Amino acid sequence: MSTAPTPAAPANTLAPAATSQGRTARTRGTARRRAMGACAALMTPFFVLLVLVFLVPVGGAVYLSFFSDDQPGLGFGPERTVFAGLRSYEAVLTDPTFLAGLGTTALYCLIYVPSMVALALLLALLLDSGAARLRRTAQLSLFLPHAVPGIIAAVIWLYLYTPGLSPVVELLGKGGVSLDLLGVDTVLPSIVNIAMWSNLGYNVVIFYAALQAVPRELTEAALVDGAGPVRTALRVKVPLVRSSGVMVVMFTLIWSLQLFTEPMLLSQATPVVGGRYTPNMYIYDAAFTRNNYGLAAAASVVLLAVTVALSYGLSRWSNRAGHASGSSEEGFG
Amino acid sequence: MHGRRSPRLSGNTRTRTPRTARSLLTALAALPLLLTAACSGGGAGAVTERAGAPVHLTFWSALRGSQEVVDAYNSSQDRVHVDFEQVPSGQQGGYAKLSNAARAGNAPDVATIEYPQVPGFAIDGVARDLTGLIDTRLREKLLPQALDLTTFEGRTFSVPLDVEPMVFLYRRDLFDKHGIDVPRTWDEFEEAAREVKRAAPGSRIATFPTDGGHHLAGLAWQAGGRWFDTRDESWTVSMTDGPTRRVAAYWQRLIDQGLVFLNPVDTQAGTAQVGRGEVFGKVTAAWDAGGMMSAQPGQKGKWGVAPLPQWDERHPSLGVMGGSTFAVTKDSAHPRAAMDFIEWQVSSPDSLKARLSSGISSQYPAAGGLVPVAREAMDTSYFGGQDIYALFRREAALISRRWTWGPRMTATLKTVQTGLARAGGGEGTVLAALEEGQRSTMPDLTSLGLDAREGRR
Repeated sequence: MSTAPTPAAPANTLAPAATSQGRTARTRGTARRRAMGACAALMTPFFVLLVLVFLVPVGGAVYLSFFSDDQPGLGFGPERTVFAGLRSYEAVLTDPTFLAGLGTTALYCLIYVPSMVALALLLALLLDSGAARLRRTAQLSLFLPHAVPGIIAAVIWLYLYTPGLSPVVELLGKGGVSLDLLGVDTVLPSIVNIAMWSNLGYNVVIFYAALQAVPRELTEAALVDGAGPVRTALRVKVPLVRSSGVMVVMFTLIWSLQLFTEPMLLSQATPVVGGRYTPNMYIYDAAFTRNNYGLAAAASVVLLAVTVALSYGLSRWSNRAGHASGSSEEGFG
Repeated sequence: MHGRRSPRLSGNTRTRTPRTARSLLTALAALPLLLTAACSGGGAGAVTERAGAPVHLTFWSALRGSQEVVDAYNSSQDRVHVDFEQVPSGQQGGYAKLSNAARAGNAPDVATIEYPQVPGFAIDGVARDLTGLIDTRLREKLLPQALDLTTFEGRTFSVPLDVEPMVFLYRRDLFDKHGIDVPRTWDEFEEAAREVKRAAPGSRIATFPTDGGHHLAGLAWQAGGRWFDTRDESWTVSMTDGPTRRVAAYWQRLIDQGLVFLNPVDTQAGTAQVGRGEVFGKVTAAWDAGGMMSAQPGQKGKWGVAPLPQWDERHPSLGVMGGSTFAVTKDSAHPRAAMDFIEWQVSSPDSLKARLSSGISSQYPAAGGLVPVAREAMDTSYFGGQDIYALFRREAALISRRWTWGPRMTATLKTVQTGLARAGGGEGTVLAALEEGQRSTMPDLTSLGLDAREGRR
């Protein structure tokens, strides 16, 4: 995403300019106050939205996961609000369908994240190397699928996957290959394919933007030292866009944990995708099929915790690795 | 969860905070759903209580012919005016719509709920306790087995319209042509399945539906299974009890030997399978006789209806697959008027005639007095003039009273079907699907705060 490098760049250029202008302590103070004011004004919308659309719902979910309107016995009597403690969490964590959903998502991430990063990086390097002649067209056609809403993408692919409708399956059938793209073992790769198609261009753009920022002197120096284009790409360019790589992995991972639209649509077409195929679908099902808000809230909190833990772990790991190799991370510090 | 709040507590300040938090979460989580609900509109509407003006009732149903029934009711009297809204069937979003409306406090006066979902809507407080509103006259008209299914702890939460005994529909022409006897027991059924495969290798005696949670439940019901038991004040869940295991093992054997097809039936492909004559029969229920007449008009005169095969002919027993009930919701301002309308719907010959005027139906009315009406309206030339309602009546009397549906049946059956679909894809068994169904049902029940435990195997 292009927002990460931009805030860092103006901050760096602005700071020296401000100090060189402010000669006396007084003007420096005014400038600082002004900067603080601007800072507050610019940050406020973010924090307001953070509270409204993130912290409040999270608080609501946490509350719902701990309290419940219980009816004793069979449940046909009057209900009373009670503190249910960890009951909903215990239920979620012992529910085989939720755990299976987590397993499905883990497998999905294992296939999707590495292939996405590798392919996006490869395409970005090709675009950057100038090997791609129609750079602009290539970039546009790569990015275009990302502009297609997820649900539409799923509909398009569903058409291409459904036997009897799909020209692809028909063509394969004529060639003697019978392939059920919505079968028990093939449906997950099919979902990965939809996600790849949708998001590849977006991640290529991130890598491409980072590659554009690689100083030309470095690549020229590599050239002078006798490095070929492949070696330049692997030894010079790739290490320099490491931080973008971390970002792509992080976003892709978070996006994957929230997998919902594609399997939800496929579940209409193939019974092997059940109503609780992923954790997010489980939450939806708990709330709107089973009318069980405590369970849905607890599952949401568990999913949030997993997401936060993974993101935190990833950024910690990359920071440590980054400092160890002394690469381009300092710009952000 | 709002749906779970009964009117008794609705004014309680203690419940206000959770409601706000809940609405917020619901609103955020359910934006698309809310949009759909907003588009479809509806709601209880304003109720006029002026003297002389008729009471207005709202009625939601997915049942065919409901508009005709409502029109007939409205013109039959001028005290009550019913406003009908056609809603999607339960699985297509009708139940979610009802739950959401109840949560928002504008559920219709009268809603249509199928048997498996009655306990859930009763527990959620959507379906009102009708015990005091149903008089004995109506009770006596209804098949006791049907009323049992809507009654919990001695309280009745909805009124049965129809109840569908399971039957075996079969291609009389094909059975005759190959000289195969119509099976009366499950042992004979297995033998007949072999003969069918031998006589016509591309055909099977029937399909075991991978989208048929109700189908499997009905078969377990017949064998004496008891997936949910409420006898000792708590929900005992035993979806793999002895009788159910027997049923699962039986069908698994037929599947493994390739004696039945294993695929979804409620699909175009499933219908085409019947249309091509690849199945000699269908393990289904009374309503499906009419369903076949509509879906396969070209096979007129070729079908027959037989009783479902029995495990033990000396002690015949039967399960149910299908049927609807009417509930008065907690939001109704006129429960008595609503109950009058329901009573008319389920027990008046005029109501049944109006419903049948919308198209062919072979539903089996829960009110026995209506069976002659339904029988008269049915043109049975599709079944070679067979008196199918006489058969339905005999079979309905065999319906076992051991069965109780559970509190979250839509979800339970869906998980079973996911397991069956996996079995259809070559991974898993009928029994595994049932085990998965039970394991995933338990967390649901315990997190609702119900007393629930797993029964012994």
